[in-house]
Amino acid sequence: MSIADTIAYWRYRLVPDHIVGEILAKRWIDNAIPFTILIVVLVGFGVAVPDFLSIGSMTALTRQLGEFGLVVIAMTIVMLAGGIDLSVGSVLALANITALAMMNIFGLPVGAAFVITLAVGAAVGLVNGLLIGYLRLRAFLTTLVTLIIVRSIVDMLLLKYAVQISAGFVDSDLWEFIGDGKIAQVPFSFALFIGIAIVVHLVLSRTRPGWHLMAVGGSRRSAHNVGIHVRRTVCLTYVVSGTLAALAGFLFAARLGGAGSDTGIGLEITVLTAAVLGGNSLGGGRGSAAKAALGAITVMIIINGLVRVGAGSGANSLILGLILLAAVAIDVRWLKNRHKVLAKVYVSPAFRRLPDPPSTERGSASPYALNDRLHDVSVIGLGEIDGPEDVILDENDHIYAGTRTGDIVRFFAPDYSQQEVFAHVGGRPLGMAFARDGALICCIGGMGLYRIAPDRQISKLTDETNRTPFSVVDDARLRLADDLDIAPDGRIFFSEATIRYEMHEWPVDGLESRGNGRIICYDPGMDTTRTILRNLNFPNGICMTHDGESFLFAETWSCSVSRYYFGGPKAGTVETVIPALPGYPDNINRASDGTYWLALVGIRTPSLDLALRMPGFRRRMARRVAPDEWLFPNINTGCIVRFDERGRILDVLWDFGGNNHPMITSMREHRGHLYIGGILNNRIGRLPLPDADPHWTGPQSYWGGK
Amino acid sequence: MSFFFTRALDSFLGRGESAITVPSLDGALRPNRRLDDASERIPIRAPGAIATGRDGPVVSSGRDLHLLSGGSAGKVLYRATADISCLAPVAGGIALGLDDGRILVTGGEFDGFELSPLDGARCPTAMVADDGMLYVSHGSAQNPPSAWQRDLMERNASGSLWRLDLRGGKHHRLAAGLAFPAGLAMSGDGLIVSESWKHRVVLLDRTTGAMRRLIQADLPGYPGHLGHGPNAGYVMTMFAPRNQLVEFILREDHYRRRMMAEVDARYWVAPTYRSGRSFYEPLQGGGVKHLGILKPWAPTLSFGMVVLLDQHCLPYDSFQSRADGMTHGITGAVMQDDALYVASRGDDVVVRLVPGS
Repeated sequence: MSIADTIAYWRYRLVPDHIVGEILAKRWIDNAIPFTILIVVLVGFGVAVPDFLSIGSMTALTRQLGEFGLVVIAMTIVMLAGGIDLSVGSVLALANITALAMMNIFGLPVGAAFVITLAVGAAVGLVNGLLIGYLRLRAFLTTLVTLIIVRSIVDMLLLKYAVQISAGFVDSDLWEFIGDGKIAQVPFSFALFIGIAIVVHLVLSRTRPGWHLMAVGGSRRSAHNVGIHVRRTVCLTYVVSGTLAALAGFLFAARLGGAGSDTGIGLEITVLTAAVLGGNSLGGGRGSAAKAALGAITVMIIINGLVRVGAGSGANSLILGLILLAAVAIDVRWLKNRHKVLAKVYVSPAFRRLPDPPSTERGSASPYALNDRLHDVSVIGLGEIDGPEDVILDENDHIYAGTRTGDIVRFFAPDYSQQEVFAHVGGRPLGMAFARDGALICCIGGMGLYRIAPDRQISKLTDETNRTPFSVVDDARLRLADDLDIAPDGRIFFSEATIRYEMHEWPVDGLESRGNGRIICYDPGMDTTRTILRNLNFPNGICMTHDGESFLFAETWSCSVSRYYFGGPKAGTVETVIPALPGYPDNINRASDGTYWLALVGIRTPSLDLALRMPGFRRRMARRVAPDEWLFPNINTGCIVRFDERGRILDVLWDFGGNNHPMITSMREHRGHLYIGGILNNRIGRLPLPDADPHWTGPQSYWGGK
Repeated sequence: MSFFFTRALDSFLGRGESAITVPSLDGALRPNRRLDDASERIPIRAPGAIATGRDGPVVSSGRDLHLLSGGSAGKVLYRATADISCLAPVAGGIALGLDDGRILVTGGEFDGFELSPLDGARCPTAMVADDGMLYVSHGSAQNPPSAWQRDLMERNASGSLWRLDLRGGKHHRLAAGLAFPAGLAMSGDGLIVSESWKHRVVLLDRTTGAMRRLIQADLPGYPGHLGHGPNAGYVMTMFAPRNQLVEFILREDHYRRRMMAEVDARYWVAPTYRSGRSFYEPLQGGGVKHLGILKPWAPTLSFGMVVLLDQHCLPYDSFQSRADGMTHGITGAVMQDDALYVASRGDDVVVRLVPGS
């Protein structure tokens, strides 16, 4: 290895570039900025103001925070559906005066006053909701008007009842408790806020109304198209908002017990600041109760901190305004650029040096020398089948093949001119194998491992495995189950080509060449799924050897075939069988004479082999060049290789130019013929094998004669 | 100072000089397959240069100069000692530029003229004669005409334009520092020159060599041979397409240097006369065959393109062969007897077309 290669090798081995992209891809990354701001604010005031973080100070803070936080949640719910509710401050004031009037003047019990207060808030919300949801008025103007109207009502009520309210006296322990009580050292209002935040979180993330709400905020039209009642959903958010604001007003009344004309004035701006600062999008569809809580806590700390520092009320508003401006700016820029940044940094190619490829020159002594042996392939189902990645034959000689449209198609023996859909499984059916009981086990890209019984009953075997410890990406779910084989004891070993990309993004995984694949074992007896090998380079074909305690597997991007022992004295070890292939291996299957067939889907090109040693070049290419223009592995020409367990190449079958049978991803020997599949092909190939055992079949080889 | 700053910024952001965008085929260059659809295809091995002769078009094939007649490659008129790189009719004879840099004339008034290669002028790519004067463009000072891929990959701009006095034997350099001039045509008292590596066509003064006008810029391919076409206009060929990946690699110095050092030139990521013949050649994502079919719009390193220009050098029509076509690598096109003879180096064929039909 040259010095440059050595440096590149260690550079890309030691620095885990891919982590950055994986972290950015996480949904919780949206909370990172608000959380950082909260920590900064907390530390800042903690240092600047003595005793700021003391228990007494915190208790006072949390008492206000309970009411404030509820209003922030109210605002967040409306914002999530794409609206805005400016009337929350007025509603709070109205609820405050209502609650006081009910308690002090009319002497109603706390429960009745509570219900009436909430009903008043809900009524104002309903007015907003009807106007905005059903009559489609602008949220901003409508709630601005309700803000003014409700405020006027409050002022009128104050004129009439202020004296009576202050004259009245409430003798109720419950009322006292709501205002001043604590639950395990935590003020009641704050506990209520936390409780409601949890409920809202669960509703938003786990329930149908919550999903509807998020969907409406995310895209009104799409939500409408999928049948969500958009108008009703929008209307209800305002009702909920009004109710929550009224609840806050009720708490406010219980805590202070006085009605002033300045109650709730300017609250809407503070609340809006908190909601946006927490990371809730003004445009709707993106946010959470946790973000609302984060924002509420941050803003409350800032307000209190500024008062404690001694900033005047003008400076206070000014600073809050500036924070709102900054938060909105960050919100917009973040939303706009996050996926761009992610797209640029997610792909992180690694250094890979492939051994020199063996020659394929026609007429040379190389075992891979070019020939035209596949020229005699006859085609089955030409133009009638779309992408048979794998083909398999049963004891009755019928051919089964998965297609791009999610079907498993069956071609009928003997002439294969008739076909039927054997089973519609969805996803992308890839590798297949017959189990001992005659069921067809199939790896389905995007879905997992499935079983199709002879009576066409489809059942899921597994679609998740144990998550890799400390991995950033949640790799429990199977993304690209590729090929499988079944051990004599019934355990199913299958490969998952990559955990970082979706099925259709396999070229990106090739560009990255990081080793994102794994081999997984499903045990039908215990119904357990465990990952047994990790960090493989696009593991693809899997084939049981004849000793019953190991299997062969191909790694496409490292152009090698290895053997894994799952039993016997070498259990758990991996041996390399073929270290350097001239091309990219795909499926492996048994041949009738105890050797193995291997499909090479494409041939290595010198230009790409060089690029694999230059990860920086590939990274820039991924960023700057359109994917259709990327340097690809050359998968337009492939071949079929036969090899034995010692890795000796016994035979090679080429179709140069690929006119007769372009692209080979799998092949199956059956009664003296070889059946060939290709993932981007529109045909199945059939090649007579004159020297092969004319009675040999795959199911017999695995499970013995009938 | 600001210039360097802009360049650094461009290089970082992929703008300006560093942009790798390739213009789309539009207007007169709208994709078509008229080169493949041509009825008359004359097979000939590696036709390089083509020119009008007295008895019909003459075309080079390796060292041989063939006369095209009756729909076949016909007889060999002349056999040179090196591969022929360019041809031009001159006073009843034919001038030949050879891959080793020599220029000679066979037949006609100046039969037997020969000029040994000069320093910095060993790469004759195009010639045009006018009244005893022969204008010759040399593509590069470093590489012979056959090594044009290397010249592109080295990002050279060392071509030059010379005037030879066939009577007096004097030679004079008109212009230098051209980015692979590969085509020449007379236009009044000016010379139209195609500058391949800059994807443009310029008008130079015939006596001073000074640049007068930029005629065509940012072409979607590498312009090569120029000649007179129908309707008092011109015909221009592009011998290879521009390709986004190649544009990118041209800006990736490290990869390009290693590719030139470590990879066989046949398998470079570089434009070529004919791509897709070997599985060792680079493949681009869009070039993967689906259901056995290579898409015509697949990204490709070779194509066929003949453009007809009007008398103001504006393109008005084109004949093309797309990614899946069979007439790639057009090295020349000449009008003779109202027919257009197009030499396809990539596919070993000369195509006869009738423009306007």
